[in-house]
Parts: sequence; C-alpha cells; structure tokens
Amino acid sequence: MAEYTLSVNGQSHTVEAPADMPLLWVLRDRLKLTGTKFGCGQGLCGACTVHLGSEPTRSCITPVADVGTQRVTTIEGLDPHGAHPLQKAWIEADVAQCGYCQTGQIMTAAALLARHPKPTDREIDQAMGENVCRCGTYLRIREAIHLAAGQGKGVKP
Amino acid sequence: MTSRRDFLKVTGAAGAGLVLGLHLDAKPRPGEAAKATFHPNAFLAIRPDGTAQITVPKVEMGQGVRTALPLALAEELDLDWSRIEVATAQPGPEFKAMNTGGSTSVSTTWDALRRAGAAAREMLKGAAAAQWGVSIAQCRTEKGFVLGPDGKKLGYGALAEAAAKLPVPKDPPLKKPGEYRLLGKRTPRFDGPAIVTGKAVFGLDVRRPGQRFAAVLRCPVPGGQPKSWDEAKATSVRGVKAVLKVPTGIAVVADSTWAAFKGRDALAATATWDEGAARDFSSAALEARSRTALAGPADDARREGDPAKALAAAAKVLEAEYSFPYQAHVTVEPMNATAQVGADGTEMWVGSQSANRAQDRAAAAVGLKAEQLKVNVPLIGGGFGRRLGTDFSTEAAQVAKAAGGAVQVVWDREDDIRHDLHHPATLHRLRAGIDGAGALTAWTHRIAGPAVRRSWTGGQKAPSQASTETNGAYDIPYAIPAIAVDFAEVEAPTPLGWWRGIQIVPNVFARECFFDEVAHALGKDPLRFRLDLLGDRGKVKFGRDEADIRRLKKVLEVAAAKAGWGRKLPAGRGLGLACHAYDGRTYAAEVAEVSVVKGRLKVHKVTCAVDCGLVVNPAGLEAQVEGGIAFGLSALFSQITWEKGRTVQTGYHDFPVLRLGDMPLIETHIIPSAEAPSGMGEPPVPVAIPAVLNAVFAATGKRIRKVPIEGGLI
Repeated sequence: MAEYTLSVNGQSHTVEAPADMPLLWVLRDRLKLTGTKFGCGQGLCGACTVHLGSEPTRSCITPVADVGTQRVTTIEGLDPHGAHPLQKAWIEADVAQCGYCQTGQIMTAAALLARHPKPTDREIDQAMGENVCRCGTYLRIREAIHLAAGQGKGVKP
Repeated sequence: MTSRRDFLKVTGAAGAGLVLGLHLDAKPRPGEAAKATFHPNAFLAIRPDGTAQITVPKVEMGQGVRTALPLALAEELDLDWSRIEVATAQPGPEFKAMNTGGSTSVSTTWDALRRAGAAAREMLKGAAAAQWGVSIAQCRTEKGFVLGPDGKKLGYGALAEAAAKLPVPKDPPLKKPGEYRLLGKRTPRFDGPAIVTGKAVFGLDVRRPGQRFAAVLRCPVPGGQPKSWDEAKATSVRGVKAVLKVPTGIAVVADSTWAAFKGRDALAATATWDEGAARDFSSAALEARSRTALAGPADDARREGDPAKALAAAAKVLEAEYSFPYQAHVTVEPMNATAQVGADGTEMWVGSQSANRAQDRAAAAVGLKAEQLKVNVPLIGGGFGRRLGTDFSTEAAQVAKAAGGAVQVVWDREDDIRHDLHHPATLHRLRAGIDGAGALTAWTHRIAGPAVRRSWTGGQKAPSQASTETNGAYDIPYAIPAIAVDFAEVEAPTPLGWWRGIQIVPNVFARECFFDEVAHALGKDPLRFRLDLLGDRGKVKFGRDEADIRRLKKVLEVAAAKAGWGRKLPAGRGLGLACHAYDGRTYAAEVAEVSVVKGRLKVHKVTCAVDCGLVVNPAGLEAQVEGGIAFGLSALFSQITWEKGRTVQTGYHDFPVLRLGDMPLIETHIIPSAEAPSGMGEPPVPVAIPAVLNAVFAATGKRIRKVPIEGGLI
C-alpha cells in the first residue's frame, strides 16, 4: 500500500491506498466524501463524475495513482455554499427525482458550462449523453443547464 | 360510521411542544377500537421553536412522497412550508404499513394526514382562544400563526405546549379545495437542496463507526451454491479482513469497497459451483414452453359472453402474437444494505420499499425478534419495485452477524443485474372476431409466462393470481360482447419481482397495439374506434376494479386534441396513441409522435393527458409522467435473456437505458378533478410503449409485436 497526497476541494489529504484503487473509493471510503456516487464501476453511467483540474472524469475507473497533483473537485467542493448556478438551477427546475445520479449530472454539466458558457441543446446532449438517470429527469436537466447559463428555459427544438 | 377513537392522540412528553400521533388506518378492524394501546403510525411534532416535524410512513425513492405527504398535512394545518422537517418512519409496531409500491402512497394516507393537520390546527386555535379570552370562531390560522381579533397573533411554537393539553377533536373541519394554499401549487422536492449539494444520504452513503465493506461472491446461476474455493486468494488481497460463507455465497469483508470487490474477484477465479435447479434455464426454452402454454389450459381472469361461439361465427378473425421480455430494474444505486448484528448493537440501514418485511426477515435470519432489529430507511437511489424484495437486506444482516461490527454489503452492477428479481417475459395471443357488419364482437387475450405474484406469496398460488398476471388485459375498457382474458402459468426457476408498472406494461402493450391492428383492419381511425367502443358508459366494473369510462374518454380526447391528432405529417413520421385506466384509479392517454429514418426510431414528442383525481403537487406529478414515459421507452430497447441459467446481460453496456439524447419532449395535461387523489408513479409507463409502436405503424406500415425492437432497428 502506498501513500498518496491528494488535493481534494482545495484541501490536501494524505491517504493510504493500493495504487489501483479508483479515486471513487478513496473519496467515499477513505475520505467519507459520499456525494460522489457508485453506479457501475465501468465508466458507463456518470454517477461518479468529479473534476480533475477542469476535466469531467469518471472517478470509478481512475486509479488513485493516476491522479498525481491534479486538483480534484467533488460535488462537496463545487461551491463553498452549495450555491453554484447549476445547483440553484437544479432546484429551480426541480430536476431531481430519486436524486442519486444528480451529483454526477451536475459535475458533468459544470464542466460543460466552463467550456461552453452558452451551450446549445446539441452541446448539452453531447456532454450529458453518457450520464444515466433511470428516473428520467433528462428534460429538466437540459432546462436547468440553460437556466444556469442565463438562457431562460432554453429553446426547445 | 367508523369509530375514529384511536385516530389521533397527543403522545409527546411535557416540554416537547405538541406531538400528535396519528393512526392512519382510520377504520379499526372489529374489536381493534377497544384496544387500550395506541399505535400511531405517523407523527406530527410542533416544537416550542415553531418548527414542525412530519414523520412520513412511506419511503422516498424519487416518487416524491417526502414532499407530497407532508403537503397534505401542512395544508390543513397552515404550516409555514419553509419551517418543516421531514423524517422517514422506522418499521415497527407504530409503523406497520411502510410498504411503498403500486402507486398507492398518496391515496392510502391522504385522508388521515389531512385530518391530523386539521385536528392540530383546531387545537392550536383553541389554545390561542383560551389565552386571549376570545372564541375559537374568532381565530384563524396562517403560515404557522394563529391570528385573532384586534391584530392578535401567536406562533404555533408558543401555543404548542398549551395545545397539547387540549382534547383532540374527532371530526375537525376540512378545507374546501378553493381554500387551498399549498395543494395544487407547484412545490419543489423537499430533498432537492440536500441532493444537489451531495449531502443527501442514500443507503450506500451510510458510514458507521468502524464500518467495513463486503462483496458477496454469488453463483452466477441464481440459487446455486459454491462447492469449492480458495480463500487464500481473497485474503491475500490488501485490505481484505475476512472471507465468510453466508447463505447466499461467500462474503469478502474488507476495509474498503474496492478491496472487497478485488478479493471477491480473486475468489471467483477459484470457485466451483453447484449450479442448482436453474442451471439449464434458457430464454429459448422458456419461450417454447410459453408458446405451448398459449394453446393449453389457463386460469380465467375475465369471461363475458361466449367468445368461442362469437369467434366461430365471425366473418373475419384477426390473430396476433405479442412478446415482451424479461426486464431488469437497474436502479442507479445498486442494491446494498448496512447492518450491525452483535453485542455492540443490532441495527440496519437499508433502502427498502418494504421496510416491515425487511425487518421481519432479516431479524428472523439472524435469530432476532423483529423489534430487536432497528431499521433505518435512508433515501433510495431508485426503486421501481426492485426494493420490494428483501434478499439484499437479509443477506446484509447475515454477513454482518458473521463478520461482527458494522458492515456495508455492496452489490456491483453485474451483481445487480444477474441477481435482480427480474420481471418475467410473457407471450400474448390475441384474437378479435369481426362480424359481417364490421363490428368487433369477440376479444380473447391469452397470456403465458411465469407468475410474478408468487414472488410475493412465498411461492404459493394466490387466489388473485390470474387477475394479477392479467392486470391491464382483463380490464380492457372497450365494450365488446364477448371477452375472454386468461393466464397460463409457465414455471421458471429464477427469482422474480415487481417492476414499475408491473404486468400492466406488457399487457397494455399487447392490448393497445392489437386494438390498433383491429382499428386499421376495419379501416377506422384508432382514436375514433376507441371512443366509439368506450361508448356512453359511466362507471364499469371489471373484476375487482371499477373504472369511470367518462374519465378515460376525457384523457383520450384531451391528449389527442393537444397532440393535433389527425394532422398531416411528412412521410416517415407518424402519430400513435394508447390509453389505460390504471387499477381503475388513474387515467392516462398518450400520443407519441415518431419518425423512422434508416430503421432508426426517433420519438420526438409524447403528449400525455392524465386524471388522477385531486392533484397534491403538480410539479411532482409532471415529474412522474416524464419519468414514467422514459422508463417505458427505455424498455423498447432492453431485455434480459438467459443462457445456461445465467443472464446474458451484465451491465449498462448490454442492458441499455434511455439517455438524454433519446428523451422526447413531453407535454403533460392534467385534467382538473375533485375526486380523491390516486397515484402517478406507474400509470404513465404502460401507455408509452403501445403509443410509440402504434406511431411506428402509422409512420412505416410496420407492426412491431415484439419488445425489444430487434437489433434496435425497425
């Protein structure tokens, strides 16, 4: 087992973990940051999405050894007061149903807005297309991203 | 008139404010009213600081009960919604009916919750009136305050202690719909802020002191058992603490979920299996047996007129076979439970839709009485009927007992799919007899497949089995002189379970698509044909259900009108519709607009009209419509198949679920109603599939009778 010093949400954490342990489990089981969710362990559903630097990353298939000095941002660190425009928009559009996938959805959307502050529906569909919501909240996810981007509820095709 | 003697009582200790215990089953069984003990099954607490806590007797899995049920109480009590806390009940003698399914949470608790709110309101007014020396009639309530004459105003918190000393009114006046301030308005989900900040606690987020994590190596064939394994392969994985034989397989207990998974995988490479009774099970063999059963004996669910004679006398008989596959639930939060069973505590944390059963069974499995095992229900990351099962909670208790300390048993995605309680495949044979004048005179619908009902009755055949398995088919709402709907059971060796929309999904798919076939065969417009055969009828009884045909016609007419039914569409594009009266309580009609380009189906829009009686929270209702339609559309492309006793599918890669890019626009139209509220969790699901497939026929002339769409292409 090796020691890794990670920068998570602006704080430095030293954890003991095997090199192949995915970042997801370091966050959830070692650091008790449970806002990042386990959905499939195969990078197919997006529930585990965090930011490495500014890149949306599937933490369930990212070995802790590969994180290095990159800044890790989880839902807990997206905004110090939980008041990121997307978090506010998610409430305004009343997106969540069961809510389990939504932290991963929001992290994916936050990376999208960082790149495309005024995304089109197509850009949203592409960026969010790999995030599963079994409750089917997709229309509201799209609406909330437009709201957060200051585009009102968005232009429906 | 039933006695409401046991309905409400003040249960709080002095200094606690006003704590009301409610007994939600307001109709005591014979002899029960005389009992001295009072077992409330919901609670309202108004604390001295003015905050109110409402304990909800149903579990939250995304359907919105932690918002909708408190709203019913808060409306009558005129609570300040921003000062409410919501707690989820714990199963036990006080909460015996936590079972959450069948779209019944609002309908079964609504009346009692309103009465409790109204009673508390009258008590608070009484306390204020006494303090001010005025009559109760001079007092009214608003947003957490009692208002009296001359600008007098006192908060509920200041009155709670005095109110608790007053008698509980038996029949407090209820508000009229015109007086509602909360009901019928859009209220965002109560748990929204916790969800978007990652603070919401789901089952997998439970973290207890000293907690360890476990994965269970189970035989890939359900019901199989390990014969041999090399424990050392698991214990040599760093972080693995113990390898334990448990009834469901071999548990690997570790200091992290990852180490438990790795240990389990290392063990798997060494295991040999006694694969058990299901080892030769295959979808192909089941389908062959089901096809045989289509022509064999069956249990009647509905028989009217003389269908055999009517078919024999028909000028034309249409016949078709429909097929719906095994389905999985694939909740994004996989199955899991955390338990502690030892001298240091006996407690469980599990996202269960069936918390009372989970408690009873887990306790029994580890040698405890139910009341010795405290059960907590965190938020549930998707239920859809899967979590009505108790397999995963019982297993966690067994692992925890064997391991000692707090243990969280985590299923990975493959575990979750392989050992799901799958919803079984069915074959459907439908026949329609048409007489010389072009009238539909006979309708028969034979369903063959495994019986889900047995999963709920410990394997026993229930008296209601045929009607359960034919739900959605036996209650075909159209006026046809001769009708036969029956069920031919086909045995299957793997565990089964309920699914969002239950058997109504495959049954309404077959019924509404075949009805569309009949309409086209007669050269009639599918909307007109439905309206004609619904006819000018009022309430009609089908077996145990009674449906109001007028309400069904209304949703059909509204959905069709709003979708522009009958308008000219470009080639390759089509509209299709379907409708259903769900358990005779919730009425839904959907019109789908689709196109097919190079075989690829695109669902552009679904226009839905629903009538579920009085609407508690339109925001929650619309969310259920959108989610229900998404769930139905997803099933068009997914299936579980079996080979050699194993599911062929193991993950999201081969069990696809609908993604954002494939989500149609959804327009929801709510029919205003003053009828008692019913439910909306499931009713939108079954209608979506036939609406889309009927639209595919309109667009292409191709009739899809088999789900999933083969190869994903039309």
